[in-house]
Amino acid sequence: MSLLGDLNHSAFFPDSASSFSSDSDWIFYFITVVCVIFFVPICIALFGSAWKYHKANGEPADSQIDHNTTIELVWSIGPSFLLIIMFYFGAQGYLNHRTVPEGAYEIGVDAKMWGWTMNYGSGVYHPELHVVVNESTKLTMTSQDVIHSLYIPAFRVKKDIVPGRYNYLWFKATKASEKATAEQQAELDRVAKKNKETGESWSYDDHQFTPDGYRFYDLYCAEYCGTNHSEMQTVVVVHETEAELKAWIKKYSARPDGVTPAAYGATLYERRGCKSCHSTDGTKLVGPSYEGSFGTMRQLTGGSPVKVDENYVRESILYPKAKVAAGYQPVMPSYKGQLSDDDVNSLVQFIKSLGDPSAAGGEENNDTGSAAAETGDEASAAETAAGDATETTPQN
Amino acid sequence: MSAGSLRSGYEVNDPGYPTPQENYLTNSKGVLSWMFTLDHKRIGLMYLIGVSVAFLVAGLLALGIRLHLLSPDGALFNTGFFKWLAPEKQPNDIYNQVFTLHGAIMVFLFIIPSVPAALGNFLVPVMLGAKDVAFPRLNLSSFYLWVAGAIFFVMALMASGLDTGWTFYTPYSTTTDSSVILATTGAFILGFSSIFTGLNFIVTINTMRPPGMTWFRMPLFLWATYSTSIIQVLATPVLGITLLLLIAERTMHIGIFDPEYNGDPVTFQHFFWFYSHPAVYIMILPAFGIISELISVHSHKRIFGYRFIAYSSIAIALLGFLVWGHHMFTSGMSPMTTIIFSALTFTVSVPSAIKVFNWLATMYKGSISLTTPMVYAISFIFLFTIGGLTGLHLGTLATDLHLHDTYFVVAHFHYVMVGGTLVAFLGGVFHWWPKMVGRMYNEIGGKISAALVFIGFNLTFLPQFVLGSRGMPRRYATYDPEFQALHIMSTYGALTLGIGLFIALGVLLYSLINGRKAPANPWGGATLEWACTSPPPYYNFDRPPVVGDPYEFGNIEWDAESDRYVKVEPKRKVVPSETPAEKPAHAGE
Amino acid sequence: MATTDAGHPTDAHGHSDSAHGHDGHGDHDHDHPSYLAHHFDTPEQQFDSGKLGMWLFLVTEILFFSGMFCAYAIFRAWRPEVFEGCSQFLNTKLGAINTGVLLFSSLTMAWAVRCAQLEQHKQCACLIATTLSCAMVFLGVKAIEYSHKWTMGLLPAGLYSYDPANPHPVGGPNYLAYICAPFAAATVGVLIWLIISYLRGAKFQFAVAKPLLVVCLSFFGGVGLGTILESGGDDSEHGSVHVAQHDDHQHGDHQHGGEQHGGEQHDGEHSAEHTPAHAEPAVATLPAAGAMVDDSNDLAVLKRLASDATNTGLQGELKALEAQDKMSGGAITYDDSDDSSATIAASKDNVLRPSRAGVFFSIYYCMTGVHAIHILAGIGVLIWLLVRTMRNDFNRNYFGPVDYIGLYWHLVDLIWIYLFPLMYLIR
Repeated sequence: MSLLGDLNHSAFFPDSASSFSSDSDWIFYFITVVCVIFFVPICIALFGSAWKYHKANGEPADSQIDHNTTIELVWSIGPSFLLIIMFYFGAQGYLNHRTVPEGAYEIGVDAKMWGWTMNYGSGVYHPELHVVVNESTKLTMTSQDVIHSLYIPAFRVKKDIVPGRYNYLWFKATKASEKATAEQQAELDRVAKKNKETGESWSYDDHQFTPDGYRFYDLYCAEYCGTNHSEMQTVVVVHETEAELKAWIKKYSARPDGVTPAAYGATLYERRGCKSCHSTDGTKLVGPSYEGSFGTMRQLTGGSPVKVDENYVRESILYPKAKVAAGYQPVMPSYKGQLSDDDVNSLVQFIKSLGDPSAAGGEENNDTGSAAAETGDEASAAETAAGDATETTPQN
Repeated sequence: MSAGSLRSGYEVNDPGYPTPQENYLTNSKGVLSWMFTLDHKRIGLMYLIGVSVAFLVAGLLALGIRLHLLSPDGALFNTGFFKWLAPEKQPNDIYNQVFTLHGAIMVFLFIIPSVPAALGNFLVPVMLGAKDVAFPRLNLSSFYLWVAGAIFFVMALMASGLDTGWTFYTPYSTTTDSSVILATTGAFILGFSSIFTGLNFIVTINTMRPPGMTWFRMPLFLWATYSTSIIQVLATPVLGITLLLLIAERTMHIGIFDPEYNGDPVTFQHFFWFYSHPAVYIMILPAFGIISELISVHSHKRIFGYRFIAYSSIAIALLGFLVWGHHMFTSGMSPMTTIIFSALTFTVSVPSAIKVFNWLATMYKGSISLTTPMVYAISFIFLFTIGGLTGLHLGTLATDLHLHDTYFVVAHFHYVMVGGTLVAFLGGVFHWWPKMVGRMYNEIGGKISAALVFIGFNLTFLPQFVLGSRGMPRRYATYDPEFQALHIMSTYGALTLGIGLFIALGVLLYSLINGRKAPANPWGGATLEWACTSPPPYYNFDRPPVVGDPYEFGNIEWDAESDRYVKVEPKRKVVPSETPAEKPAHAGE
Repeated sequence: MATTDAGHPTDAHGHSDSAHGHDGHGDHDHDHPSYLAHHFDTPEQQFDSGKLGMWLFLVTEILFFSGMFCAYAIFRAWRPEVFEGCSQFLNTKLGAINTGVLLFSSLTMAWAVRCAQLEQHKQCACLIATTLSCAMVFLGVKAIEYSHKWTMGLLPAGLYSYDPANPHPVGGPNYLAYICAPFAAATVGVLIWLIISYLRGAKFQFAVAKPLLVVCLSFFGGVGLGTILESGGDDSEHGSVHVAQHDDHQHGDHQHGGEQHGGEQHDGEHSAEHTPAHAEPAVATLPAAGAMVDDSNDLAVLKRLASDATNTGLQGELKALEAQDKMSGGAITYDDSDDSSATIAASKDNVLRPSRAGVFFSIYYCMTGVHAIHILAGIGVLIWLLVRTMRNDFNRNYFGPVDYIGLYWHLVDLIWIYLFPLMYLIR
């Protein structure tokens, strides 16, 4: 609440945590000083004249001089030199931003309304951006829908992400994120566990740590992109060593052993941006809520109804525009190629776990015969899908 | 007053020349006589009312934005009232629509027509010494186009709102389900309104100047209006075609801007800013013109560096066409293009600086009356200087990468648009109000409004510079808690600013009821509009005006007895080397 | 009303450098002719104002079109082959005829201005009517061109439904009839007006209605002319269609791993140039491409989507299909070229986006459509001018409106002179 709350760094800037920060801040202060040097005399002249030459009505002016070419040329041309200096430093700094060093560590960034997916290769996707300190990192960015802009204030970098283009960005983080102490980590784990039970999402602002126990830098979307533009935020974590980053990536590369698909689906729901459009408590957001949806009949935009079963859920994840629920816009991006088959299956199981048993039950009571047949179909379809997936996966 | 000392030429205070009973306000009556009027003064007044209503609406929306941002999770639009008002909308959606409409209405319906169309329509022919603009019917149609555009905006609001930001960036604007087509049609129509006004003024200034009114005897307001009109005529058609293509993109998917159909969103940005950057100068140049008049008249001193100011207006108008790329430094133009645009951006700062220095030099050793318009003019110079100087941070590439699309940008352009144009507009309205309606307002009330606007404005937007440099992105309905303190400050500032503006409105409206009758020349101005009665007669001048130097104050004297300025025989030679041979503003033949 | 006392000795005020353009025109005081608006001092001033205003308006018109010319330049620079290929679909003969008709109308318009200045009222009216007829012929030919293309499905990107296997689908709406209907209604209206004015003996109205009827009928003359040329040129045009059709298949196959052209397909550098010219043709080749799409489940979805040619979301799915191959392998498959060159065309084509051809037709319809709207507006003002000319409103001192509208008409003509080679003659 207090303005001085985080004055531990600088009044005007967030943390300075990349190789660009000091340059950018230096130029900023340089320009500011030049501006003040001009502004103060201007104010003195302005308010000074207003005070000193304030006269009663009718008193003539002290002078009627209306030009002085020398002075005018001096103040027209003089400041231009300062402008050239500013331009020069600015352009130089900018070229540094645009010149990616050889061998930079590459991370893919996929932006969509209203979430981030960082692609660490090997099928590892995570909404948080994790990088290594003192190592050049290059982000190659695409957008699936509208223009976004990746902005990390602490690194003083920003780049629009334009659909249909690849834009890139690089930086070298200079300050590693602090790690939580053991007791803090224990507390974080406790919260994480509780969140998992209640279905709450992780609040970075409240805890000031990522669930893995790192301090972080903010990463914003800076180009207006629709309803939840302001919630299109994630965090950047800077690791001490590459080994640490690799270990972190490994942790997220697949469904850990011993975790049920439904539970892992819940994680994916959190992590892959589903939750920004689909609620689990029946609230109508951009997309239909998952609560009690599984097993029911759903009206489509075209008019025909469809049963929400494994196949439909699977298809809606991979081809969201194929069957759009009535009353919703076809805005969901395709997750084809972004989720492993196990991931899709986990999500299906997760949504199934939120299904409304009473609805399904009621339906069965009404039409036992066909429902039974359908169930059989579903089962076989699910098998086929799984089979297809196993076929596809090794091929790739 | 001694009749003998009066110059009796066209000076309407001449006892031998009775003040006409009829003025443009009274020479015909009834609503229809206003609706179908071809008189530029009435059209100007109708514009003034129109843009004021637009400003009121957009200003209230701005207040909504500020109130919502009182709390990190959003305040105002989370309340039950808005749940009741728009149950199907989320608070974020409401916020997005509110800031979009705030921007669109302010830009298209208020700032662009404010000075050129409202004050310009009233003043250009009078200052020029003409009877009317060259095409009075075109002038009226341009007003009705403005009304039609405004109606389209209202329809967009009523239909499903608009949530694209006033910039209509594709592909968001081609995919969102808000009423983009209605709003863009409105903006398209407003574009034509603006073109017609600009075209009218260029022709008027070129062909309607009376004998003796040479280019360099034109008041600087006319130079500014002329430069503005050039931009309006040259830039606005590009906006027209851009919006037309956007509408086609939405309806037929023509695939020029929408990447879904192989189009390129960055092309849209280029097209859009090719208009919208010069449009920034449509907004600010006429303000420069007003300030040049205000500073000179209320300092009772010749404007310093007339030619530099006049040429810098033209220079800004032309350079303004070359810098649109600085809105797109982060959007992925090639580094070479980016650097060139940055360099060009710096060049445009030079003519603006020239003007500030010249105004200061005009005030130096003047005889300054701290009237309401002058107080506004002084706060303009202060605020505009801040706005201009912070532009340097944004024109510099390395810092812009950090500051682009943050509150720093928001603060910067509000310092230019509100601290600049709006304050100049208010100053201009206070300055010419006696001429328009023939009544004087309460000076103390006017000054209080000016002070509150100044304080409130700074309180609103200074914190936003800090918000921006600390990394708060713009157009955020919710934000990180660390920014809250500054947001609260900003909101209190906005409330103060709002109160100041309402006081200004009150002072002006009250003068209509209870104002002292205005003399022809309440401030001692030397331009031609002060030579006709307040308010002016239908054809502006009952006798053809004698064109003199617009900044020659030597033969205008304060007459304490009648509380007004009058024209006198020159009693003294003022700086003979500088002022051309004293024109005996002589009697009618 | 007080008018300017132009004899006012302004020079007495010093500043002898002032330009007094109007000193010699003081003799119009107090007797404004009816055609001189009250706020002007002299007819010269009025004429100059009008002319400057018109020129400024033409500047805005040019800038208005320049936006589209820019779009044309940008997209042609990115995809020259698409433009050249699609230009085949435009019938050069019809374009050339229209160019000739407009050029001739410009001549008659210029001549009409001259007649107005010389007060040859009758001749002036004839020439304006000729200009109007030419404009109508132009629109008639354009109606043929448009309706023909619409029937073939050569539409802007989002509506594009051209199928090279079936270039002339039957059973679609009769677009030509829709376009002709308002003109037919206008013709009938004028005819009725003509008859009524004849019966009532309203001489002036009758005199105006006569040329207007001719003008209206000219539209159908244009339609007839277009029909003859369109069918006469059928062979050559169909030839070109088949060429284009072949191109389509080629492009389509490339993208789908076409076995026949496999060699070029792997040339990533140039993949942009080898992407399908049309999305829908790409769809048409899908069954053949089935071999590469081994996930039959996906293919089923694609097929279902493809069956609806208006499903514009299709491309996203195709893209996903393609992207999956790469991405599920685990590699980051982003293009790493410098973003300065990563324009849509240059980036490795991540996309089977819809019709690139559609973009050509988008630009074609936008430019010629906006031009046609200008022709229509021109027809409107020319009719107004015709009536005024027949009323003998103009004289040697007052012919501004004819002059201004002449300027406008020349500009409309000029824009077509640029459109014709840029659209029709680029193969």
